[in-house]
Amino acid sequence: MSLKETLIRGLAYLYPMARRWLKRFPGGVYPQYKKELSARHPLHAPILPDELILPLQQHVGVPAIPTVKVGERVRKFQQIAKPAPGLSVPVHAPTSGTVKAIEKRPLPHPSGLPDWCIVIEPDGQDEAGDMPVAIQTPTCPASLKKMILQAGIVGMGGAGFPSWRKLPTKQGQIHTLLINGAECEPYITCDDLLMQTRPHDIIQGALKVAECIGAEKIIVGIEDNKPFALKAMRQAAEGTGVDIQAVPTVYPMGGQKQLTEQLTGIEVPAKAHAVDVGLLMFNVATAAAIYRAAEYHEPLVSRLVTVSGEGLAEPMNIEALLGTPFEALANVAKPKQPLDYPLIMGGPMMGHEVVNTQVPVIKTTNCILANPPQPITPAMPCIRCGECMDACPVNLLPQQMYWHAHAHEWDKVEKLHLFDCIECGCCSFVCPSHIPLVQYYRHAKGEIRKLREEQAFQEHARRRHEAHLARLEREKAEKEARLKAKKEAVKKQAAQSTPSVDAQSAGLSARERAIAAAKARAAKESGPTATDDTAAKRKAAMEAARKRAAAKRKADTSDEPAQSPEEKRKAAMEAAKRRAEALKAQKASTDSATEKTPSEKVGDPLCADAKRKAAMEAARKRAAAQRAKKAQEAASSTDTSTPPGSDQATEETAQADRRLAAMEAARRRAAALRQQKQETGEETPAGKDQTPVENAQTAQNPTSAATPSATEKRDTEKVGDPPSRDSKRKAAMEAARKRAAALRARKAQQNSEHNDT
Amino acid sequence: MLSAILIFLALALVIGALLGYAAVRFKVEEPPIVEEIDSVLPQIQCGQCGYPGCRPYAEAVANGEADINQCTPGGEAVMLKIAEIMHVDPKPLKAAEDGEEIVGHKVAFIHEDDCIGCMHCIKACPVDAIVGTTKAVHTVILKECTGCELCVPVCPTDCIEMRPEPVTPRDWIWPDPEKLVPTVTPPVKGAHP
Repeated sequence: MSLKETLIRGLAYLYPMARRWLKRFPGGVYPQYKKELSARHPLHAPILPDELILPLQQHVGVPAIPTVKVGERVRKFQQIAKPAPGLSVPVHAPTSGTVKAIEKRPLPHPSGLPDWCIVIEPDGQDEAGDMPVAIQTPTCPASLKKMILQAGIVGMGGAGFPSWRKLPTKQGQIHTLLINGAECEPYITCDDLLMQTRPHDIIQGALKVAECIGAEKIIVGIEDNKPFALKAMRQAAEGTGVDIQAVPTVYPMGGQKQLTEQLTGIEVPAKAHAVDVGLLMFNVATAAAIYRAAEYHEPLVSRLVTVSGEGLAEPMNIEALLGTPFEALANVAKPKQPLDYPLIMGGPMMGHEVVNTQVPVIKTTNCILANPPQPITPAMPCIRCGECMDACPVNLLPQQMYWHAHAHEWDKVEKLHLFDCIECGCCSFVCPSHIPLVQYYRHAKGEIRKLREEQAFQEHARRRHEAHLARLEREKAEKEARLKAKKEAVKKQAAQSTPSVDAQSAGLSARERAIAAAKARAAKESGPTATDDTAAKRKAAMEAARKRAAAKRKADTSDEPAQSPEEKRKAAMEAAKRRAEALKAQKASTDSATEKTPSEKVGDPLCADAKRKAAMEAARKRAAAQRAKKAQEAASSTDTSTPPGSDQATEETAQADRRLAAMEAARRRAAALRQQKQETGEETPAGKDQTPVENAQTAQNPTSAATPSATEKRDTEKVGDPPSRDSKRKAAMEAARKRAAALRARKAQQNSEHNDT
Repeated sequence: MLSAILIFLALALVIGALLGYAAVRFKVEEPPIVEEIDSVLPQIQCGQCGYPGCRPYAEAVANGEADINQCTPGGEAVMLKIAEIMHVDPKPLKAAEDGEEIVGHKVAFIHEDDCIGCMHCIKACPVDAIVGTTKAVHTVILKECTGCELCVPVCPTDCIEMRPEPVTPRDWIWPDPEKLVPTVTPPVKGAHP
């Protein structure tokens, strides 16, 4: 003890605050420590609770990702959650057992909000599996980082910052490794006990880290109110070159920046980290955990916890498995009264209440405090005494900050270096008006962070909205371009196909025409107008009349069973002549119609539809007439003997049938042609679906329009846009229907003929 | 007499020329006021101000067509900022004047049982925060939703609900001590020895 120290201690009897001159950083307070409550007892024997609740996030950063399933058996040290990308650490099973649930449970967090936890039901075997930590002993910062990450080690002093992230990437960046054994919060003695019971682990862990990162010096800072710990540590450090320093007992000596300044005289700049000035600090518990990982390849699955407070009969320190509910530990310490008041995690200065007694011990839980509630002194107005300013260990102006935080002037609070506040609670502790100053700063910090996030989100939303608008614009432009291209293509094709249609109009195959008609139908789904309707009806009526007449004729001829073969031949010849005439006439009319179509059809696209309908109608009627005739013939054939020369008759019927088919085809041709002229060519390969029946029909008919250029035409037509599947299908169906009608008609006639003979 | 007039005339011309030159040469480029207002608006493109987005509203305010207090999601903070930019007196919020309740940030939630996959909400979303396709259930990207409520009225089955954003321990902030009874037991006061 130097002369200066002796003098100050003497002066402290007259002026207590003179003790602040003993240390290097400003401010600080001297609370009642009450450490003897728990420090006088040896470590309690470990307990095994009924269930272990392991939060996925026990650290600062991103929650870990579970790697086990509900119902799975896990063994001790098994990794049950892997680190997420970014700032994260894994979680390991503290003992063997079964994963009971992965669900949201309340956390020992000031918010009291539930978050994802893996719940393990221990089986009592405590059976260890493979060690998740690499066997190789680390020798460089990278391997040390990897090992610390694998072991899931975080800052165990209370901050919970993943330790691997604190390490430098290169050797030689750190000149001094500091080990924090100050433990300045009242009540807490877990580090004290750790230093007393496992000084070797701490020293060896520190040596390992120093060796890997190339630090030249190791300093351990221990408050001078822990004489046993100092003694044990000095013994363990003998011959290793580790410097054990006793530091004055003052709150908050355990703060990283405060202890750094005390031990090295270096004040870490406001926006810099200790690494930037060549320093690195670990808590004693972290150093011990690193030693366990390096030497025994054990991940972090348990820690020393102080269970203390005025409400407990036997305060103690215990090696608690991570995930042990607070209540289980508090019950071991024999509560004086039922635990119906909130427990506190951490010390009385910086700790916070937990939402219920079932929250688990996590990697940062150093103390469970059971202090029965005391009457709360209501806050009174600030009297501007300035006590808080004197107590602040980071030289802030708590009173000014309070006024601005009170008025929600966040920008002004920030200007007063709010983010340098370590939330130690010294200002609240000394405030004679009992103003919860530190709560204002915590709230202000949260609000400012939220505002920043909101601003970033606004910027993000603005960008997204702009992208959205740009996308709409682009889509519109693309659509227009597509439409334009299509229009142009159609125009081009129209220019190409019109002359060829004219030239080949007479020579189109029935199949092509049918396709064209089908296409037209598909395109013009809307029904025909009134005028179209009447025209179509008239046409249909005419057609039907013609059919009827033909049928009658036929019936008449077949009705005369007593006709001689001679007569029959004559009649057949007559009929053939008539047929030829009719066909000629029809062909002529078709041709003229075809010629007329372009001018006729320009303003009347629905005509084709109507015609088609008419054709269908006619076909149906034809079929009906034939059926009727057949019935009649069947009736008559029963009493008539089969005359010779039936060959002629058969031929005649066949011819009649062909004629009918030819008429039908011609009609369709005309409609198709007109439609095609109108449409200017959207021809399809759907035509290939056409059955050979129809082709045969056309081919059979010697008088019908020939099909010389059919293939040629098809080729040119195929160039056009393929129609939609829907229209194709419709066309095919229509064609099939027509075919069926024609077939039916023919069959009926043939049957009747058969019966006849 | 004449000399004095001439001298002053000459002086006036010289100084006038100097001033004119200075006005051109040292012109201070002020940031366009529209940009400035747009930058303080919340950019959720909700249209609650009566304009089709934040930027149109900013333009309307800059042109004096709109009042400064029409941004409901921005609340009082935005109104105060606009008042500062426009150099006008702050006004109470329009929504508050109309007696509407001002609530915190909400996000859209789609009841997927009722969603028929009509794409209406996807088209309405100004920030493309709804994903889905025709006849497939749509869902909201929580992270991107600005809470503008534009998707709510267009839904034919009323399956979109605005819900308060869930708070997790990561985005939780300490409450305002003034609105709170102190919860932490006050620290044990140490007596000075």
